[in-house]
This record gives sequence, structure tokens and C-alpha cells, in this order.
Amino acid sequence: MANYLAQFQTIKHSCDRVVAAVEDVCDLWPTVKGLFEEHQPLKRAFLTNKTRNPVLVENLPVEFILTTDARLRSRFPQEQYLFWFREPYATIVLVTCEDLDEFKNILKPRLKLIVQNDEREWFIVFVSKAHPSNDQATKSVKKVYAKLEVDFSSKKRERCCKLDIHGPDTNFWEDLELKITECIRNTLDRRVQFYEDEIRKLSEQRFMPIWNFCNFFILKESLAFIFEMAHLHEDALREYDELELCYLETVNMPGKQREFGGFDSEDDQAALLKPGFKPLTQIVQDDSFREFDFRQYLFACQSRLLFKLNRPFEVSSRGYSFVISFAKALTLHESVLPFCMREVWVITACLALLEATASNHHDGVVAPDVDKEFYRLQGDLYSLSRIKFMRLGYLIGYGTDIERSPLNSACLSMLPWPKPAVWPSLPPDASSEVLEKEKTILQATSRTKHFGIQRKALPLEPSVLLRVANRRRASLSTGNLPEMFDGRQGFNEGSGLEASPRTPSSLKAPPMSRTNSSPGNFESPLDRPMRLAEIFVAAEHALRLTISDHDLLKTLSSIQDFETKYLNLTKGAAENYHRSWWKRHGVVLDGEIAAVCFKHEKYDLAANSYEKVCALYAGEGWQDLLAEVLPNLAECQKILNDQAGYMSSCVRLLSLDKGLFSSKERQAFQSEVVNIAHSEIKNPVPLDVSSLITFSGNTGPPLQLCDGDPGNLSVTVWSGFPDDITLDSLSLTLVATSNTDEGGQALKSSAATVLKPGRNTITFALPPQKPGSYVLGVVTGQIGRLRFRSHNFSKGGPADSDDFMSYEKPTRPILKVSKPRALVDLAAAVSSALLINEAQWIGIIVRPINYSLKGAILHVDTGPGLKIEDSYGIEMERYMETDSDAGASTAETSVEDSPDSPERDSEVLQLSDGKIVFSEWASTVSSILWVPVRALSEKLPRGSSSVTPLKQDILEGMRTVALKLEFGVHHNQIFERTIAAHFTDPFDVTTRVANKCNGGTLVLQVMLHSLVKANLIVQDAWLDLQDGFVHGKSDGRPTSTFFPLVVSPGSRAAVVFSISLEKTMSSGKDLQLQESILNIKYEIHGDRAAGAHKPVDADQSGADTERRDLVFKSAIVLQRPVLDPCLTVGFLPLPSDGLRVGKLITMQWRVERLKDLKGSEAVDQQHDEVLYEVNANSENWMVAGRKRGFVSLSEEQGSRVVISILCVPLVAGYVRPPQLGLPEVEEANVSSNPPGPHLVCVLPPLLSSSYCVPVKL
Amino acid sequence: MIVCVAVVGHQNNPLYIQSFTEADDALKLHHIVHCSLDVIDERVNNPKKSGTTLNEAFLGLLYPTLNYKVYGYLTNTKVKFIMVTTDLDVRDTDVRSFFRKFHAAYVDAVSNPFHVPGKKITSRTFGESVGNIVRSYTFN
Repeated sequence: MANYLAQFQTIKHSCDRVVAAVEDVCDLWPTVKGLFEEHQPLKRAFLTNKTRNPVLVENLPVEFILTTDARLRSRFPQEQYLFWFREPYATIVLVTCEDLDEFKNILKPRLKLIVQNDEREWFIVFVSKAHPSNDQATKSVKKVYAKLEVDFSSKKRERCCKLDIHGPDTNFWEDLELKITECIRNTLDRRVQFYEDEIRKLSEQRFMPIWNFCNFFILKESLAFIFEMAHLHEDALREYDELELCYLETVNMPGKQREFGGFDSEDDQAALLKPGFKPLTQIVQDDSFREFDFRQYLFACQSRLLFKLNRPFEVSSRGYSFVISFAKALTLHESVLPFCMREVWVITACLALLEATASNHHDGVVAPDVDKEFYRLQGDLYSLSRIKFMRLGYLIGYGTDIERSPLNSACLSMLPWPKPAVWPSLPPDASSEVLEKEKTILQATSRTKHFGIQRKALPLEPSVLLRVANRRRASLSTGNLPEMFDGRQGFNEGSGLEASPRTPSSLKAPPMSRTNSSPGNFESPLDRPMRLAEIFVAAEHALRLTISDHDLLKTLSSIQDFETKYLNLTKGAAENYHRSWWKRHGVVLDGEIAAVCFKHEKYDLAANSYEKVCALYAGEGWQDLLAEVLPNLAECQKILNDQAGYMSSCVRLLSLDKGLFSSKERQAFQSEVVNIAHSEIKNPVPLDVSSLITFSGNTGPPLQLCDGDPGNLSVTVWSGFPDDITLDSLSLTLVATSNTDEGGQALKSSAATVLKPGRNTITFALPPQKPGSYVLGVVTGQIGRLRFRSHNFSKGGPADSDDFMSYEKPTRPILKVSKPRALVDLAAAVSSALLINEAQWIGIIVRPINYSLKGAILHVDTGPGLKIEDSYGIEMERYMETDSDAGASTAETSVEDSPDSPERDSEVLQLSDGKIVFSEWASTVSSILWVPVRALSEKLPRGSSSVTPLKQDILEGMRTVALKLEFGVHHNQIFERTIAAHFTDPFDVTTRVANKCNGGTLVLQVMLHSLVKANLIVQDAWLDLQDGFVHGKSDGRPTSTFFPLVVSPGSRAAVVFSISLEKTMSSGKDLQLQESILNIKYEIHGDRAAGAHKPVDADQSGADTERRDLVFKSAIVLQRPVLDPCLTVGFLPLPSDGLRVGKLITMQWRVERLKDLKGSEAVDQQHDEVLYEVNANSENWMVAGRKRGFVSLSEEQGSRVVISILCVPLVAGYVRPPQLGLPEVEEANVSSNPPGPHLVCVLPPLLSSSYCVPVKL
Repeated sequence: MIVCVAVVGHQNNPLYIQSFTEADDALKLHHIVHCSLDVIDERVNNPKKSGTTLNEAFLGLLYPTLNYKVYGYLTNTKVKFIMVTTDLDVRDTDVRSFFRKFHAAYVDAVSNPFHVPGKKITSRTFGESVGNIVRSYTFN
């Protein structure tokens, strides 16, 4: 069957669509052919696929071929089965007839003959030529067609349709399409069934020795081809997939050693998309096919179908895996294949795939993620070809041009060298080329990196090429290999060479002279080990033989062409990766493009790309990789004179992990930064140095400040600079935690700061801040024209350089400014009264409230009536807080106890300019200030009696002291308070006449009410009497044995004086003393902490030696008693039955003259008449009669008169009766009986019985 | 042989990367590990495509390249383990068990109270245990 292969191929190529045979019975085909072909292809055809599911095929082309056509004639039956796919799928019988008899006799038997072949799917198209206007003809045609239908159509299947040439044909073409489709479907089913049966039979013999893959292939591909013709591409693809599987399964069967293939010319160019690249007869081998060609052929068929299915994505993805797996197969046969065949094939395969898929791919047709995946695969293909291309370039000596980047190193150093059976040897006439290469190698100097960074270049070689190449030469002994490794650092810097045993002597010797010194090697180049240049030249020659593609060959012909192609591939890969998910791949490839741009001095392009790469690495913290790229970026920026960028790059380099660069390199970075910062830059450069300079607050609790206080904030700043660096300025912002949007206030540190590497403590002066808590915000500073800022808050350690992608916000407050609150309290120590007019200690309690009063100044300003006794110092003592219920006594003891404590807690301060400066010890504890003051009062205290009641005036003894305390670090805190102190006399004096003796002697009781909280000891008391009074029997003092008289606080005491009226007093004499003065000599025993106490001066002068008693003076008004009443008024008794409301009574007063007025000069007129007046409360009394009037009273002694007034009491109860007054007579001259006001009882009115109803019990 | 193992944090930042090659070419392995994050990202962001594999931590082969293989493993905390091997015939079960041990070692290392989560793992013990695990797996 394999013999049919060639035929099969031709047949396959000749027919590409479904064939419908036309049996032209009545010579109609020329007439209708045009119409038939006009209605091509079939618009909608429902076919059945391999799994017996209906599939809608649109636009299925059908070729109509007459049965008489040569193409369908003269075929052998065997051929017919074998190439069944080309046989007609439907037979259309074209007939026409207008006469029924003719039909019955001639046409029908003929038709029966035609359709008796069961294998054919057929149907009859009856063509009616009758013109619609010709009724006769139309009728007969109808009859014939009806007969035809009866004869050939069955219930199961309609096999007839009628084409009216002259009539409307709307339904016919649909009918025809349906019928053709039905035929095709049936035929297809039958043929598929047949092929499947055949294939199954063959498959079962698959592992038998007679198995012939070619037969299987023909059947399988025929089936696939049938599907393909019927536009059932999915099914066709599946057949090819199965075919591939089956091939792979059988091709590698052990025992059968087959030729791989790949030796034909142009085999190096991948034919994986060219199904017709080689005729199958060429690749057939025994009973199977050569793997090299056949796999490509199968893939080409598959991809053709996939493109037809509009799935370029799948071509890419299958293509990529195919390239990989095929490359593995090539590796297996590498030793027999031409040199670097694999590499060349992979490059061409990838490029072919890229071209084909890119032209078939249209964005937006498929789902976005498929799109992305497609681009990813394109990128993969590009980078695969790029790797192989680089490998070829390296082999012919363009390795100097390949950047030793991590990407290239990863690609190339893990890719093994080609392993030909024998390494290509140097062609005889290549010595000039060798010299040329040698020169290039020597000239190639490794570009030293900027900043003098010394870095071992990454390897591009999996192992030392020199060794590999020489080992694979048959005639070489490896013994003298080490001598080959001469000092070609320019090219072989990588680790590949590093692993080689490099001898020191070979390093010193120049390569040419050394080789010349061993002429034996030079003479026979086949025997001696090849030198690197020779290897390159040999490889180049070998590649020229391998590569048949001129374009590819050209790209390797010169270093410029190589670079162009390399750049194209890199760009292609990068662009496609950028459009896929694989952004990292894209960006890294951008870096490779940048390297090329850099080499060609397109620094701006290079800088752009490098920037992207750096951003990628920096963003994710891949510092090792960043350290590789960043110096390149910096160099670009320096060349471009982008000072800001360059400085930023230097700072970034500095902020990388310290282990990545040597300290020398780091110092170079720093010096660059400093140089540029101090150079002539127009604009200041802002820069974020968060990863280089970090800061943190000191550990421990935050600094606590009170509102309005300044302070010093010390902050730890970590410098990542390798050397000391001088900052022109440094400032720090604080951010209030409560209010984040408001930028914090900047604290400036003192002018120039030198940051040492590592930890530095910087102290910032802190002006008063608003209340709230603050965290560290930003550190900003300036180095020359560089304005840097750092956001990075470190947790008390050097910056963790790997997390500069997220700034940690400091959460711990560094400063707390409390809300305004009382910081200190000033209060009067004593609330009870002090002695007026005496020097007294006034106590002021100074109570700091969690706030230091260090260096505080108290301004004391006394109000009116109060004076500070300057001559005495101000005493300051520690004040022990006592519980409120403990009382003053405990306070007293604690004060006494306190001297035991080692701390100094009392001293005497001096007042200067009304200011007192606090001592150190008093800064934190409560203290009490004792200020000697004297309250001045000119007023003489007055005693009170029943006649002149004491009018208490609270404000009388009140004095104020205005206090102003300045405290805080800068005396910025001010506390003002005015305290009140109460001053009083020691006693409140009340007098009364206790008894009036017969002899005119009066007993005057003087009651002393202590007003102070201290024991008063009365030593002596005497009266300076006013005129008209004289002392009684004694000298005016109480009996001395009563003294000293102790008056406890709040208690009363009384002293009794006996006085008598001065008889000789004449009314006309001038009065010397208006008032009597009570003098009391007393002592006071009190504590100043409780109230009144001994005067300050008494304390000072020593209490025991010279006691200065205090004298209290109080004015007492003594009234002369009424000794000569002229008139007496007596209230006559009331009736015994009492007074009742409403009952009329008569009030009677008797007025009697006690003295004869005749001798008195004072009396001048109307002596015989007395004016009276009755005063009554009109609410209580109704008075009838004259209330006021004169009554005649004789001037003689003893004359009397009774004044009667009728009154009616109006209210019940004790009421004051009406009183009789004598307005014209001085009160002193009237003696009343009863002497004072009195009350009478008024009974309620009697019950009025007339209103009462007696109640019977 | 395993040439490189790496732990990559959830922000794709390297937490631990150790190469086991004799040559001084760690940087290229850094590159391989870094680029393989693309694949992990893709798988994590397109769970449809990877199907059931996301139900387990083992991500399988990330890179079907000719000369080396990159395997990935993703923990629940989005920490990635990446392993680069030059062995071309590797059984998935071996890799799975390798990663399981690696994961256990990692858990031990980050359970150290002095380890700051998200920071590089500097523990020497971790390095030693990873070295032991790597040495015990020579896949063929």
C-alpha cells in the first residue's frame, strides 16, 4: 500500500472539495450548469461528525462533475476504495420530459438503471422547460413530474425536485441544498464508517511485525482529509492528533533503528508550517517515515487546520511545546546532525511560528485572557529563538557583544554546548580570519562599571568552551589543555573560566608569544588544541555549511547584523511579554534592550528602560538584582547630566543592602552625592531618602509636656551613609495623631549636623505645641542643593532595607502635650481670722499639680489695708497634704515631724520687688509660704449693747493678696490668684448694765466674745470712762486675782466693772470723752496654721524675755441713766375679765409730774400742757377718740392726769397694746411703767349663740 | 540537582534565596526565581486556567524550559516556595514531598519569636535544614 503514497499525495492535492456527480440524462447540464454553480457554496449544511453529532457547516463548497468527466471514469475498483474520499458524494440525475408516454417508455427504465447502484446517493432534478404561458406544456410537465415522484420518491425519502427554468425558483435551490446535503451526509457517514473500520483493523495489528505505518497513515490521513473536505476541521484535527500519537508510539519502538532524517539541504529551516515542504515519498523509510520530516509534516497539517479553525493561539501553544520536544529529539541525534542544527532549527521554527500566528491573530476576537496567553507564547517563542541566536553568536565569537546580565546568564549558562561527534575543525585557509578574531578578542575589554564597581561577570557558558571544543576533537590529548587558558579576561571572565585550572604563568605570558614559543603546535593545527579564536572561526565555517537560510546567515555575518537581529528578537519578546501577564519577563528584557542602547550611546532610551527595570526590582525588594542594574542607570543619568536622577540613583545605591557593595564603592556613591549636592545645580533637588536615613523616637514613654511648655525632643537618626555626612540643616515634623491631614510643625535642629554612620541622637528644640499626642512625621534636611526627606520610621534599629516598599507609620507617640489644666494651686492656708493691726503670718499654700515649680517666681501684691512686713523674711515650709477629715492638728504634727527627713524643707526667703524666687526643693512638693503682713485699720472697735447693737460688717476685716506665680522652664506658665484673708479684733465686746444699785452705782458687765481661733489670755482690763461716769469703789479694774483670764476660741468671758454716775457733772460743760474705752491687755496663744497667733514681732523678739502684751481697745458707749424723770407715765391695769376681740375697752394712762418745773430754765412755753400721742397698730387696734392732743397738767410736782382712750382689739393673741408717748418731752425725762414694750392678751370673741343650733345628744 | 531554592513573601519580596551551585552565579538564579513569579501570579490570577491545581499548595512545574525546571509552591499566606532544578526527569511526588519538608522548615523558622514576619529569614538553622533537605533530594 505504501506504493500508493505518491498517488495518494497527488490525488489529495488535486481535489480539495466535495464532489457531486451529475448524470446528465437529457443534455441539460450546459443549460443549468451556470445556475448550479451560481448557488455555490452550500450555505447551511448539517453534517454528522465522527461522534455522530450534527454539526452545522457553513459555506461548504461543492464541485459538480459530470459522470462522463474523465476524472470520474476509468478508475480501478481498488483505487476507488483506497481513495474513496475523492469519489462523488452525491449523484444528481438531471432529467426533463414533457410527454408522459416518453417518460414511461424511455426515461423511466433508463433512470431505473442509473439509480439501481445502491452505493450511490442520488436524487433526480427534473428540469421543466415549459413556459408558464404555455398551459398545455405546463400541465403535461406537471403530470410527468407527478409520475416521476410516484416512481422514485418513497415515503422515507424524497428524491425528486423540480427546477422551473422559466418560472420562479425560490424553493428549488433550498430544496436542492437540502437534498445535496442529505446525500453528502449519508455518503460521509458511510465512508467514515468504512475508514474507521479499516483503521481499527490496522490499529489492532499495531504491535505486530507486519505492521506498516504507511498504510495506517494513508487510511488515517484519508479520513482526516474527508473531514477536512467536509469542513469538519475539528474531526480532521483529531485524526491528525491520533496519527501523531500513534506515530510517536511506534517510531520509538525498540528494536527498529530508523534514520532520523535532517540531512537534506534546507532541513535546518524548520518546515513545521509547510505541509508540502517535502513529498511524503521522500521521507518514507521502510514501512514508516523519518521522524525529522514526518513530525514536522504532522504539525504542519495540524496547524493548517488550526488556522482554518481560526485558532492561532493554539498554533502558538502547540508550536512552542512542539519546538521544545522536537529540540529534545534533535539533541538525541545531535551527534549525527550538522553542527548546531538544533539551534538553527529552533530559531527558524520559532520565527516561522511567530510570523504565521501573528498574521492570523486578531486582537479582541478571543477572550482577553486567551489574548494574553497568546502574547505570552509569542514572547516565549521570541525569547527561545533569542537564546539560540545568542548561542550561535557566542560560538562564532560575538560573545563580547552579549551583555552578561542575569537573564542572559540564566539562559545561556544552563544551556549545554552543542555536542557534535567531532568539533568542527579549522579550514585550511582561515589563518587570516583567526588573526582577525584574535584581535577582536584582545581588543574587547570588559567595560568597567561606573563607580569602579568590581564585579565578577556572570557566565554565559555552561562550561569552558575551549575545553569542550578541544575534547571533542578526536586527535587531541587533553593533557596540555591548561596551557590554553591564557589571559583573555576580555572575553572569558565568566565563571566558566573560573572553574578552569588557570596557572599563574599562563596569566603572565602574552598569548601570541607563548604560542609562538611552541612552534610544534602551530604547524599541525589538527593535532594541537585549538585556540579560542580558532574555535570561533571553525564554528563560523561549520555554521555556514549548516545554515541554508540566507537571512539567518546574514545576521551572523557581522557583529552589527548580529546585534540588529538580537535587538529585534529581544524587542519582540519584550513587547509580547508586556502584552501578556508576564510583566517581569518583559521588563527584564527591556533591560537587555537598554544595554544595547547604552552601547550605542542612546543614553536616554537606555535610562528609560533601566528605570523600569530598577522600579521592578525595587518594588519587590530584589536587591541583588537591583544592585546589578542600578549602577547602569546611574551611569546613564550621569552622562545625560540628569543630576537629580543621578543623585537619586546614588542614594538608592547607598540604601541597598550593605553587603551588596564594598565599602569603597559605597564611599564612591556618597562622594558622588555630596559632590553633586554641592555643585551648581539650578534648582534644589528633592529626594526621598527614606531607605537611607531612618529615624525613631527614643525608647521609653513619650515626652510629656504641659500645654504651652517648650521642650527638647531627642530623636535617634540612623544614617546609612558609609561615612560621616554633613547636613546643612535637619528638621523634623511632628504629626498630631488626632489630626492627620494637617501637616505637622517642623522642628529645626541646630544649623549643621554631622551624621555618623549608624546611630545618631539629634535633639530638637520644641516650641510650645497644641495639646494632643504627636508621632514622628517626616525628617527633612538639606545637603547642599539636595533637599531630602525621609518617611521611614525605624523601630529602634537600622533600617530593614527590604521593606522600603511600605513605609511603616510610627504608631507610638513621641510627644504628649496635655490639655490645659491646673498646674499649680495657690490657696490661703488659714481660713479663720487673724488679728487685725498686728503683724501676722498669712499662709499661702503652693501646691504643684504634677508639675515642677523649679525656679518659679511668686509675685505678691497686697491689696489696700494690708502691708507686708518687710523687716521679716518670708518663711517657706514643706506642706504636708492632709486628708480633709484629719483636720488641722495632724497637719501641725506633720509639719513638726518633717525636719527629720533629710530633705531640706524650710527656709527663709526674702522678698524683693514684691517677688519671691522658689527654691529647688520646693519644685515638686507642696509648700506653704508664710508672709508676715499687717492689716491696718484705723477704726476703733466698738462694743455693743442692747441699746447699740453691733453691726457686723463682713467686709470690714477682709483683705486681699494678689498672687502671680511664674513657672515652667521659661517662666512661660503663669498662674494668678487673689486670696482673701480675714482680719479681726480678738474680742467682740458686749456690755450691759447688770445691776443698778441704790447708791447710783452701776454694775457694768463687759462680755468678751473671742473671735479668733486661739487662746486669749486676758492679763488686765480697765476702763477709760467717758465723761459723766466715774469708777466705783475700786480703781476701775476688776479684782486682779481673776487674771489671767483664759478665753478659749469661740467662748465668752465677762468682766464686771462697777461705775457710778458723776454727780458733779453739769450739762453745760464740754464733754471730753464721747465714749468710754475698754482696755484689755492680753496675750494670744495660737498657731498660725490654725488662725490668729502671736504677732510676728513678738515671735521675733523672743517670747520669754521681753513680753510685749497686746492691748485691745474697744469703745463702749455708756449712757447716763435717766435719773430725773419729770414725768411718769403709768399704764393702768386692764379689766380683770380680759380683753376680747370686738369688746370695747378703755385704755388708761396716768401721767404724773414728778418734778416741779418752775425752776428749770430749759422749760420755756406751755408748761401747763403736755402733748400726748397714742401709737397703736391699726391692724390690731381700733382707737376711738383723740390720738394726739394736749392735756393740761399743772407745773407743780405731783399733779396728775389720766388719759383714757377707747379701743377695740381687732385680733386675738398677744399683741402690743397702744402706747402713750409724750413727743415733746425727752425720753430721758419720762419714766414709764412698765418700762419697755409689753404685750397684752386678747381673747377671741365670744361665740354668738344666735348662729348656733343646739345639738341634742 | 537542585540549584536554587527560594522563599518569596506575599508581596513578591524575597525572604530567602539560596543557590547550591559551585559557581558564583547566584544572580542568574535570582533572576530565574524572580521571573517565575510571573507564572505564579498568572496562575493565581487566573484560577480558571489552572483548574484544580489551586486547591493545593503545590503549583507544579512553572517553566517547561529545555535545561532546567522551576517548581512552585504557594502557602495559604501567599508565601511562595520556588525550587530550580537541573534534573530533567523529576517525579511530581518527589517535588511535592520536597516542598512539604521545605514548608515545614519554613514554618519552624518563622515561628521563632524573634523573627519579624515579612522580613528576610536570616536564621542559620533554617539555612542548615534547607541545605539538608536539598541534599536529600537528588531526583535521579
